[in-house]
Amino acid sequence: MDEKREAEILAVYVEGLSGQPAAVRQIELTEEEREHLAPLFQLSERLQRSLRPVRPSPTFVHSLGRELVDDTGRQFALSKRTRRVMMIGAAAVGSLVSIVSVVGAIVFLMRRLRAQVQTQHAPTG
Amino acid sequence: MHEESDSTLIARAKEEPEAFGLLYERYVDKVYNYIYYRTGHRQNAEDLTARTFYQALKHFPRYEDRGAPFSAWLYRIAHNLVANWHRDHSRRQLISLDQLATLKSPSGRDPDATTEKLDEEAVLLRAIRRLPPDRQQLIILKHVERMSNVEIGEIMGRTEGAIKSLYHRTLTSLREDLSSEWEELE
Repeated sequence: MDEKREAEILAVYVEGLSGQPAAVRQIELTEEEREHLAPLFQLSERLQRSLRPVRPSPTFVHSLGRELVDDTGRQFALSKRTRRVMMIGAAAVGSLVSIVSVVGAIVFLMRRLRAQVQTQHAPTG
Repeated sequence: MHEESDSTLIARAKEEPEAFGLLYERYVDKVYNYIYYRTGHRQNAEDLTARTFYQALKHFPRYEDRGAPFSAWLYRIAHNLVANWHRDHSRRQLISLDQLATLKSPSGRDPDATTEKLDEEAVLLRAIRRLPPDRQQLIILKHVERMSNVEIGEIMGRTEGAIKSLYHRTLTSLREDLSSEWEELE
């Protein structure tokens, strides 16, 4: 039997177990297919019956939820603080660079001016 | 009431801690179920569920919503943690008592029939745990979470056709594995 068709039929059958029986009714099976697939249908029904959803204890869910939200809050606060410290640091470095540049420019201009004056007053010949 | 989409919550969670809490509430049962059926112990399921969400929280600032379900990301984290757990507890796991306790025995029934049912289900759960991890995941998503093949495909990163084919192969091998044990029970 064609494996792809078998997989398709099984898929439709299992969807039917999960509440779409209309799809199951539309499957037309040959006698051979029915015989071949019957054990897989039974197994899928057994799985559906046996594997029931379990629920974690409400105490666990509640306490973990609270811890996670607290942790997220702490993480946000930390990253906000880090961002603020980085911004203040960057601003301070920027200001320092500006001051140094201005001072440097003044020193440079004064030296240049002094050099010019010395050249003008230097004895010629 | 209109429920916020995952994408909206993810965007909000980048700014508000409470939004991550909502994502947690939405998926905690699913993650717990997955881990519980992969490990068979409530205590381990709780421990690994907590670790899954802590790891998600740690990596959340780098998480990008690219259209894949958020649950796929959580299942992937859980899947890796369970794999590590199995590596650390490599000896074959037996069905735990708490697992058998979940197989409720309705009052007024024949005790022999109930015992037989428990035996049968224990055999089935043991056989599922002998499957490769991706097949276990498929069985859990299909029969515990009752997801469609399309949804499972999104989570496992495969096409719908590939999921159907994998399910077929999984059931065939499970049936072969179980046939001798069920014959012994019958």
